[in-house]
Amino acid sequence: MSNASKHSKLPFAPGVFPALVTPFDRDEGVDESAFRGLIRHVINDVDGLVPCGTTGEFPYLSVEEQRRLVEIAVEESQGKPVIAGAGAPSTRQAIELAKNAKEAGASACLVVTPYYLHPSDKGVYQHFYELAQAVDIPIILYNIPQVVDAYLPRTVVEDLADVDNIVALKDSSGNLTYTMEVLEMVQGRIDVFVGHDEVVLPALAGGCSGMILASANVFPEVWQRVLAAVREGDLATAREWQMRVQKLARIFCRHGGGVAVKAALNMMGVKVGRPRRPLKPTGGALIHETRAEIQLELEKLGKIQNPESQISNLKSQTPSGPVEERFGDVGLTAEEIRAAGLRVGTGSAGEAPEWVQLDLVAGPKAGPLGDAYAYQLTYPLHRREALTTILEPNLTVRPPTLILPTLEQKNLRQANMIYGPTQSAVAKAIVDALERGVIPVSAMDKEVMIVLATVDPKALDRHALHKNVYAAMVGAIEQAY
Amino acid sequence: MSKKPDWFKGIFPALVTPFTEDDQVDEEAFRALIRHLLPHVNGVVPVGTTGEFVYLSEAEKRLAIDIAIDEVEGRVPVVAGTGCASTRDTIALTQYAQDAGATAALVVAPFYLKPTFNEVYEHFEAVNEIGLPIILYNIPQCAGTHFKWWTAEGMAYLDNVVGIKDSSGDMPFLMALFEKVKGQIGIFCGHDEIVMAALAAGADGAILASANLIPDIWQKIYAAVRAGDLATAQDWQAKIQKLVRIVTRKGATQAVKEGLRMMGLDMGDSRHPIMPGGAFEREDREELRIQLENLGKIEVSSLGFRVSSVEDFTLRIGEGFSGPPFFELAHVDLLLGVREGPVGRAIARALGEPRPSHELRIINQRPRTLLVPTVTVRTEKQASHVYDDAASGVNLAIEASIKDGSLPEGSLDDLAMIANVFVHPAAANRKRIEFNNYKAMRAAIRKAIEGRPTLEELLNEKEAARHPFRYAP
Repeated sequence: MSNASKHSKLPFAPGVFPALVTPFDRDEGVDESAFRGLIRHVINDVDGLVPCGTTGEFPYLSVEEQRRLVEIAVEESQGKPVIAGAGAPSTRQAIELAKNAKEAGASACLVVTPYYLHPSDKGVYQHFYELAQAVDIPIILYNIPQVVDAYLPRTVVEDLADVDNIVALKDSSGNLTYTMEVLEMVQGRIDVFVGHDEVVLPALAGGCSGMILASANVFPEVWQRVLAAVREGDLATAREWQMRVQKLARIFCRHGGGVAVKAALNMMGVKVGRPRRPLKPTGGALIHETRAEIQLELEKLGKIQNPESQISNLKSQTPSGPVEERFGDVGLTAEEIRAAGLRVGTGSAGEAPEWVQLDLVAGPKAGPLGDAYAYQLTYPLHRREALTTILEPNLTVRPPTLILPTLEQKNLRQANMIYGPTQSAVAKAIVDALERGVIPVSAMDKEVMIVLATVDPKALDRHALHKNVYAAMVGAIEQAY
Repeated sequence: MSKKPDWFKGIFPALVTPFTEDDQVDEEAFRALIRHLLPHVNGVVPVGTTGEFVYLSEAEKRLAIDIAIDEVEGRVPVVAGTGCASTRDTIALTQYAQDAGATAALVVAPFYLKPTFNEVYEHFEAVNEIGLPIILYNIPQCAGTHFKWWTAEGMAYLDNVVGIKDSSGDMPFLMALFEKVKGQIGIFCGHDEIVMAALAAGADGAILASANLIPDIWQKIYAAVRAGDLATAQDWQAKIQKLVRIVTRKGATQAVKEGLRMMGLDMGDSRHPIMPGGAFEREDREELRIQLENLGKIEVSSLGFRVSSVEDFTLRIGEGFSGPPFFELAHVDLLLGVREGPVGRAIARALGEPRPSHELRIINQRPRTLLVPTVTVRTEKQASHVYDDAASGVNLAIEASIKDGSLPEGSLDDLAMIANVFVHPAAANRKRIEFNNYKAMRAAIRKAIEGRPTLEELLNEKEAARHPFRYAP
């Protein structure tokens, strides 16, 4: 299948290789037993191991730590090949690491484009050439401009492909024009591994022979299916599996790399600790909202069980009965609503889990609704924080409108469904109603509104949710006005 | 041999092109702008980047050049923007400018398609044939091509090339120009943020978007540098730095137009797709307004609003958002009202109730202000971010709003505020938390008092609004 397979210089079969994370304990020491645990978790689904790569935070590791990690990987590899990360800014350092890798029993080493100072193309060529002369171990070139800040020049790869012990290139750029260019220029003299989780299928279809991936720590078996399907020419199956993991792949590639992979593994019970500083386990490149998103995606893949009790019956927790009676939570009784002549309306739309119900109360600022509105902003209910409705930041809708979720938002992903798609749809419906004259312009200054939003905590599809909230809000406004 | 003309020095505004409500070039407004600027400038530049030349038809460009020449009546040089993507169009417009009586043409590097540098050179060689003095124009932010110094040096030898305007802000590039071609052609700075430094290093003058707004201040800086008084020049540049940073980085054409409108010169808005609340964001508009107030260009009440005209203080609502950076951004939801109304009653009730993890604090008595964190405070560091840094920013905003008259001095004892502040749990940069909360609170107060956003703003932006949290990661 691959145009590289005929004369491959690889001393082992290409396939699925995880770029292993390096587990650290609370004191930032390498946690060897956790590293063994990780390898035992993945070993049956992979074709080899890659310690001390970018995902393994190699620039934060000492030479001695790298040697030890490679040794452990070899011990735990059950005879599968180990490709040791041996990248360094200087040629001298790279040679030392590659020699250590050889002594530790690695089958090959993965050597990144020299970084920080920016050598010329000549310098880059000399780096790899000198390394290849100095060591007796197959070398895999490694292009990852996202962190090196430069591409491994295509013309340099073209020439290095003639060096005996330079056997492959790992391309993590995700830039398929580069990948295709290299595949064309090396003419099968070396193998090309894809290193960017978001483009595995097209890269394999285009001629890459294997993959070295951060996400292969988490779901290597999915990548085995993609690889097998492509090899069989069954692109439909390959696409289906690639799409199933596309969001996780995107998060791993763009929102924290190894940090995000560690978060996922820890959620799955494969304890790999924390990253070394300055990276933060969350709250840096991996923000809390995205972490919640990882959890949901792992649930969908069956990697973890939903640890929270599911809402057994959403409808039983949805406000019902006469609309006037639904606002007890915000301190408005049906009697007060009737006595003050407040407007009420309700609307619902959609199918589970994006089904929504909105209950609306609107009326003059002076009076019980104004009091209820102001009081809400003195105490954000834990997990049910009220929001001032905005089209976008610095574009508050008027009449001013508070949205209050009726159900607890147990994580930030659920909360995001309220402050993201729900809020923007409520805002749009209000301004559209102003434009159509359903809400009178005079209400902008004189009135306020409170919206109780019942959104299923299991809601997944933001686009559908936005659409349903908009429809429900239009319905509620039309009832109220 | 020097080809630098005597007139090529000092401060030239890159004129905005005013549009009428029905999107035509607004001749009257354009003349009014030129009349307003003439006493403070050494020349004018119609149909430049700030003049939205890429959004103008050929006929409109010609019209704008004609109007500028007519209104100026020879009192100062008129440098017409004539650069187009193709050589053919550039020649035609430059020929027109010459026939119309322009002093010189400002010719931008050919853009969009990316000609190689020999093609760029031949482009200017062809324009040079016309005979009108040419000012080369380097603005890689828009043109996508950054002149190499050797390209500029080579073109400086063309007979009619008399100057270069460098808007890149790339000081090493400018220094190379001084080394290579100073004295031979005139060298103008076109990047408002580095004018003082560029003049001190040897620039002959500047063509600037912000010279529509503050030409008099630019003259002070120009004069101070020429007099060797660098301290004064530094002082003035620092005073306007925030304003010009907004202009250069946040939608220059719309920023300048909205600034001029605040000053009473209505130039309309930029043509679409540049739109109000777009690249020139709403928070930038608040900041630009405050900067123009600080520089004495406008009064606080200049937008037709007076605190004394607000009748209903039952409950007024304002929102302010300010960043960057992401982790230290501030989002303030503000309620403002009389103490006997909903706001005062809510504060009294809240203070009487236990509030685990949401300690409420009265952080000011005039007006009585309740600070409410919107995120559960879990650590001492977080508590300090909220109750020290954000609270300090909120209080500074209150102080500034009293001083500038946004909060009515006479009614402070009768008013109360509830300020909901968001501080991200992973925030780190304390000074940024304070400053962003200051900006957000100041905007929230003004918007609450003035009843903004207006219906017009909401209707104009409702389709295009981009809610940042609406989408999946």
